[in-house]
Amino acid sequence: MRPLWQIPRDGLFWLLISVLISIALHFDHLPPWVALAGIVAALWQIQLYRERWRQPGRLLKWSLAGACGAGLLLHYGRMTGLEPMVALLFSGYILKLLEIHHRRDALVLLYLSYLIIILQSLFSTTIGASLLVLMALLPVTAALVAMHGSTDNSRPATALRTALSMTLQAMPLMLVMFIVMPRIGSLWAVPQQNSATTGVSDSMSPGDMTQLGRSGAVAFRVEFDGPIPAQHKLYWRGLVFSSFDGRRWEQQASKAYQDGQFLQWPNQPLAAWDKMIVRRGQALSYRVTLEATHSPWLFALSTPVSRSSSVALSRDFRLVNNEPVVSKLQYPVTSWLEHQLEPSSLPDWRHNIELALPAGYNPKTRAIAKQWREETPDIAALIDRLLGLFNREFIYTLRPPALGKHTVDEFLWGTKKGFCEFYASSFVFFMRAAGVPARVVVGYQGGERHPSENYLLVHQYDAHAWAEVWIEGQGWLRVDPTAAVAPQRIEISFADLFAEREGFLSASPFSLEHLRDIDWLNKLRLKLDAMDYAWSKWVLGYENIQNDFLLGLLGGITPQRIALLLLFAGGIALLPVFIMLYLSREKSTRDQLDRLFLQYCTRLEDIGLARKPGEGPRDFAERIYQRAPSLTVPVDTLTQLYESARYSEIKVGDVQRFKVALKAFKPSRKALLSSSC
Amino acid sequence: MIKRWRQILDRRYQQWITRRLPPIKKIRLDNRKLFIFPTRAGVVFLGLLVLLWLMATNFENNVVFAFTFLLAALFIIAVFHTFLNLSGLHIEGARASPGFAGQTAEFEYLLSQTGQRQRYSIEFSHPGVEPTVVSLTGGEVTSIYLAIPVNRRGWCQARRIRVHSVYPLGLLKVWTYLQFNSSALVYPQAIDTALPAQGAAGLGDKAPPENYMANNSGSEDFVGLEKYRLGESLRHIAWKQFAREQGLLTKHYADAIDDELWLDWELLPGLDSEARLSRLCAWTLGFSENQQPYGLRLPGVELAPGTGRAHRDAVLRELALFEQPKVAAGPV
Repeated sequence: MRPLWQIPRDGLFWLLISVLISIALHFDHLPPWVALAGIVAALWQIQLYRERWRQPGRLLKWSLAGACGAGLLLHYGRMTGLEPMVALLFSGYILKLLEIHHRRDALVLLYLSYLIIILQSLFSTTIGASLLVLMALLPVTAALVAMHGSTDNSRPATALRTALSMTLQAMPLMLVMFIVMPRIGSLWAVPQQNSATTGVSDSMSPGDMTQLGRSGAVAFRVEFDGPIPAQHKLYWRGLVFSSFDGRRWEQQASKAYQDGQFLQWPNQPLAAWDKMIVRRGQALSYRVTLEATHSPWLFALSTPVSRSSSVALSRDFRLVNNEPVVSKLQYPVTSWLEHQLEPSSLPDWRHNIELALPAGYNPKTRAIAKQWREETPDIAALIDRLLGLFNREFIYTLRPPALGKHTVDEFLWGTKKGFCEFYASSFVFFMRAAGVPARVVVGYQGGERHPSENYLLVHQYDAHAWAEVWIEGQGWLRVDPTAAVAPQRIEISFADLFAEREGFLSASPFSLEHLRDIDWLNKLRLKLDAMDYAWSKWVLGYENIQNDFLLGLLGGITPQRIALLLLFAGGIALLPVFIMLYLSREKSTRDQLDRLFLQYCTRLEDIGLARKPGEGPRDFAERIYQRAPSLTVPVDTLTQLYESARYSEIKVGDVQRFKVALKAFKPSRKALLSSSC
Repeated sequence: MIKRWRQILDRRYQQWITRRLPPIKKIRLDNRKLFIFPTRAGVVFLGLLVLLWLMATNFENNVVFAFTFLLAALFIIAVFHTFLNLSGLHIEGARASPGFAGQTAEFEYLLSQTGQRQRYSIEFSHPGVEPTVVSLTGGEVTSIYLAIPVNRRGWCQARRIRVHSVYPLGLLKVWTYLQFNSSALVYPQAIDTALPAQGAAGLGDKAPPENYMANNSGSEDFVGLEKYRLGESLRHIAWKQFAREQGLLTKHYADAIDDELWLDWELLPGLDSEARLSRLCAWTLGFSENQQPYGLRLPGVELAPGTGRAHRDAVLRELALFEQPKVAAGPV
């Protein structure tokens, strides 16, 4: 069967390139056989074009479609969620490749290519991935151009050039729309992809955090309104663990808190427990840009107040987002580093929560704790005594020996080797056993100051666990037992401390972090991170600053002003296009004509007939008739053509004709009348 | 009902177009003459933009927003590119080659431009007919030929042509209708009948003897001057003698005249005039092919026998314009 419509050669070329690029972009979240099917379909289409193979029959096509559907169902086990949907779209896209009978079919494929390529941005929004998507859109546009403007001998490069120049012209306009167009927020809930990313998890058992120590990925970045506080003050609280089952620390169920709602939203009346927070001293304002964690909890310095309507303050004084953070999230926070939490007294139910210990675990620690409390009734002194023990006898290591059932007993009185969570866990257990309310806090500690940009870079390896102890009259106090073992851990960056040791960053073998010691590479790494931060601030989190930005620009946000700005800025963005398209083309002809006329004059000058300054072409021609009558005919023709090309409104190819006539115009000195010399 | 309304609308539209775009000789396309609108593919593309926008909004993904806006900007940029693919193009209604009734006549149009703009895939067509697609890649003049079916002999006015382009992205179409005032000559339909036998066509007794004895066809020996009679070719009038006020005389030449042929209107009695013209037309073509000299005699018209292409065209022209307006509405 002959196809009804033959796709232009360059159109097919760019179409297939688009398909292959789409496959490449989605390769890591497609079943491999879908990608393979795509490549086979592309080859088939090439063979169809060369008339080597025949169209697949209807039966084959339907069975392929059925096989694809069944295969996807088998692979994913469900058809909801982003990845299965993309895979389904993909298989339809690939099957469509086998039946390009009309221009319409090719257009459907190209539109799907646009869609599928842009869908990639739902999976990754880094600068690199976005640039790749931008480049991947070019062949699709080139295919559209080739599909509509192909001549018999047009080359693929021509279409690509047109596509490139149109895309470049569209960029300023895109920028204007990006800045101005309002974002209205999610209209309905959408399936989010659940990919496992490293980060602090919602429970803590021995060894969990070693994973984080091996990752050099960025956890979040913080931009302070003022100077960045000292390193030892930067405790980014994320989760509070008050419940221990002998091995695992977990959050207390929120309904266990009996005084009002657990979450305090900014636009709601203050909860009863809010007055238990005493904020003193200077407020510290900053903006956190958190990488996707797929969890709702946020990180902030104690004690925080959220300035974002989607972020709540919880009963245990940390920030919680209204939904899991599935893509970069920016939130503004104000913190009071000087503060007291629940200083007056704890009711019985609070005591019960913060003193609870599982029966049957760590008997030795319980006994010793009781004994120490009797010997040292002052809580501060008791803490110092335990920290002193840590300082003298314990070793900080990222590769601690494994622990059995009685984790705290074995650690405190046996192995004595471990890292933050071992210390925090055993410290809190000890304190509770001694009758002092205590809890574990996990989050991040410290961060890397960017040398040129004023922001702090917090990596996954900065993950940390510490303790909070409640003392009557003072409230919750932060105690970091790790600091007693390895004070440098708190005073300098974690990375500097561990750079030489094994285990650190072993999960990120290609991380630039490994090359911190090479100065220029380190600078490059920080430069790249500054770019990445600017990207996340100005692009990924633009809706957070859009309001302020437009307010500063317009002095008030009304629909009229937005429309005016859109028109005005859009006009400016289109100006280069106007200039390029309208002016350049008129100029080129004018120039060409002038150049040709100059050639004409030069040739006459060569035989001694120079045009006088200011002499019009017609006067010049009259003078030539006098001097060289034999040139009358060609000179007259050329002059007429020049005049009509130059002055008449409709110039039917006169420039071209002038050019042709000029080619034949070769005056010689013989033409001159000897008498007039 | 709907059909009637559609017809009325269509007629109104055609009237409006005619008013807006009157017949012309040549034209430079610009924004006053061009119309631009999204194609069906363009509307689907806008749908794609809405889909992407919904996705960006729901996933709160600014990168998807950026690419959605990029495609939207591409659409807007395409408006200019599409428009400029036609704008600035010069179209001139040039010659029209004659055709026979029942067949087609071809109109030639000259395309040119002042600049060096590359123009791709411009479609020229008479409405409802498969278009001729042209790309212009420089300043040269390009000809296109559009044929229209013709039914009646005489002058045929050029039909309105549609100039249409969707380059570069196919999202928008820019088009115009142009009515050029060129005309094509339509010869009568050639109805093939057997050629009349040698001599039979014109040797009948109806032919005046003088013409039979001596004709004024050509280059042979000059015989003398005779008094001018109505119907004789003006080419043979002796203008010098006329200037000397000797009266209107015609120059006559002697010829070998025995096998002279006359395609005579009177030879086909009993047929209506169109049928007669059709037969005369067919004979003209036949004799012309055989290189035989032949003359034409219609009421009020007489062309002396001759051969050659020019003679054939002159004969056919007389047949075409017999009892028709002699002057075309525009250039031929």
